[in-house]
Amino acid sequence: MTKSATMRAPALFRTTTFRLTLLFLALFAAAAAAFLAYIYVMTAGEVSQMADRDITHELRTLDAIYAQGGATALRDAMIERTAIDQPYLYLLLDKDGRRIWGTIPNTSVGQSDERNIVWTHFQVDQAAPNGHVREHLARGERQRLSGGEILFVGSDVDDIAAYVLKIVHALWGAGVLVVILGLIGGILVSRNVNRSIAGLNAVVGAVRGGELGARVALRGSRDEFEELAVGLNDMLDRLERSISGLRHAGDAIAHDLRSPLTRLRTRLEVAMIEVEAGKSDPRAALAQALEDADGVLRTFTAVLAISRLQSAGSAPDQSLFDPSRLAADMAELYQPVCEDRGLDFDAQLTTGLTLRGNQEFLAQALANLLDNAVKYTPPGGAVMLRVRRRSSGEVEFSITDTGPGVPEDQRGRVVERFVRLENSRSQPGAGLGLPLVAAVAEAHGGRLELDEGPGKVDEMGPGLRAALILPRPS
Amino acid sequence: MRRDVWERGSRSVGGGWTILRILIVEDDVQAGETMVRGLSEAGHQVALAPDGAAGLISAGAGGFEVLVVDRMMPNLDGLSMVEALRRQGDQTPVLFLSALGEIEDRVTGLKAGGDDYLVKPYAFAELIARIEALGRRRDPSGGVQTLLKVGSLEMDLIARSVRRDGREIDLQPREFQLLEFLMRHAGQSVTRTMLLEKVWSYHFDPQTNVIDVHISRLRAKIDKGFDHPMLQTVRGAGYRLEA
Repeated sequence: MTKSATMRAPALFRTTTFRLTLLFLALFAAAAAAFLAYIYVMTAGEVSQMADRDITHELRTLDAIYAQGGATALRDAMIERTAIDQPYLYLLLDKDGRRIWGTIPNTSVGQSDERNIVWTHFQVDQAAPNGHVREHLARGERQRLSGGEILFVGSDVDDIAAYVLKIVHALWGAGVLVVILGLIGGILVSRNVNRSIAGLNAVVGAVRGGELGARVALRGSRDEFEELAVGLNDMLDRLERSISGLRHAGDAIAHDLRSPLTRLRTRLEVAMIEVEAGKSDPRAALAQALEDADGVLRTFTAVLAISRLQSAGSAPDQSLFDPSRLAADMAELYQPVCEDRGLDFDAQLTTGLTLRGNQEFLAQALANLLDNAVKYTPPGGAVMLRVRRRSSGEVEFSITDTGPGVPEDQRGRVVERFVRLENSRSQPGAGLGLPLVAAVAEAHGGRLELDEGPGKVDEMGPGLRAALILPRPS
Repeated sequence: MRRDVWERGSRSVGGGWTILRILIVEDDVQAGETMVRGLSEAGHQVALAPDGAAGLISAGAGGFEVLVVDRMMPNLDGLSMVEALRRQGDQTPVLFLSALGEIEDRVTGLKAGGDDYLVKPYAFAELIARIEALGRRRDPSGGVQTLLKVGSLEMDLIARSVRRDGREIDLQPREFQLLEFLMRHAGQSVTRTMLLEKVWSYHFDPQTNVIDVHISRLRAKIDKGFDHPMLQTVRGAGYRLEA
């Protein structure tokens, strides 16, 4: 675990999330620096401005005293002012820079002629308890008096400076803390994202490697990665279904065509032997072979149609139409066929319904059901085509006949490919009619239901009721 | 060179037959040559082009009445070839051959300028019937016909009435459409699939021969009680209306 973590570490720095984290940290640092500078300028600047105003005023007052009473009066005034707790720091030097009087050491002021604002440090009288000499920060104004003496008036700004410093420290501390927390957070988030991405990548890699069953493990977090994972899994499900459908279709077609092709081949072989022996007419043999080949092609077409429908999942080219019109076309097509076979034909078509589907496939499905009805119902029977809306809103095409029907336990089987019931083997057909209907129904989101027809009547029945039930268009 | 590719029909053709000059554009040489043989046998003049580019050149040289074009070919596929032809203003009828049988493929084919679409594998009789139907379609007159006449049979498309030897024949609407199609293709074989496609507008494959039943009803109405049958069954192909 640790090993893989360290091994993944360099990769971590390349991740988008981590880079974003760094970018945000940099932005934050810049903002913090600007904020800091602002605070600093505001506090320190304000404080010194106020101090400077007061000090200038004091300096002027003292200058006036000096003008009246000279250095001595000035010194006395300063002593007096110090005694009544004026908050100012004073220093008076003679023109040679020697100290006359002051509350701070004379080293700290400098002797330039210019009237000047100075920052200075001075030692505080009272030593700190541990014996260390403490220095305070002071700010003041220096002026050379008319007699050549230098007067400095300042104030102890140490408290304010300390306050400003505290703010600065606090800001720095907060900044560092935020950067550290940001980094940790960034790393954690990147790790987390990395893990999600790694999961997705692993699945993509596995699928690329041919392992179609690979799926992303879901963590139930309902975040966007989960959404992506669900989408990916769904996509893979569909892909796998259609690929396995295709594979299955290919296998099925190969398998399904083997027996009719074998039959065709055998017939041709026997025909050749017979023709060579003069026992058979070549033309008849060729005609028979042609018929067989047509049978193979029909089987092929039907199997292919079923497979395509199954693997596509839904029928192509669906449109909205009135199901009664399709049924009417089919009725018109099949009514004469029924009459020719001595079957009573009836159509009950509810008009004004709407259906979404592929008309060609649905026509083929109805034709298959009608074919079956015509094929299996003995003369004297009846066939009914009906279109109605079920109470569920679904559209139902049903074809009911009075033939022998399909025993209940066989109804599931007859929709499988190539399944033909015992008593139907004498009839032509390959056993693909109902499977195609079922495939068409499924490709429309519907179903094929087989039931008993009208029941036993005299020698007939019980009949079959085949219902193609399709969902109401959304 | 051009002469060499022409295959002369060997069989003498009866009245009503038209000899069509047909260009087959098919990259499967065996299939192409079989088609050439079969169509020549049926009395037509047939040339073969091995791909779309060659087909475009041959077709551009003109003189063909029907083009049979495979959809999937090297160099230039069938769709592009026909689109190019149509852009040049060439309106020669085109029959597409394709292994793509989906409805949308058929629609794309017809949109690209094809006049008919036949899905492989097909019966040769079906191919000939469709080619001949296309060749006939070019038939001149130009104007809208309101009266069809085949032998003693007359159809008034406006009054929706049919007469044979002047005797009125009562037809159901669908029977009328069926007969109209047969009359427009008189003398040619039309297959059951063609009838289902053109008269009923469905493309599926009915197992029982529903078309036969409709034909026999129509036959009972137009032939019964007359001196000779006009609506004939063509073995292995379909039906033909003969004068």
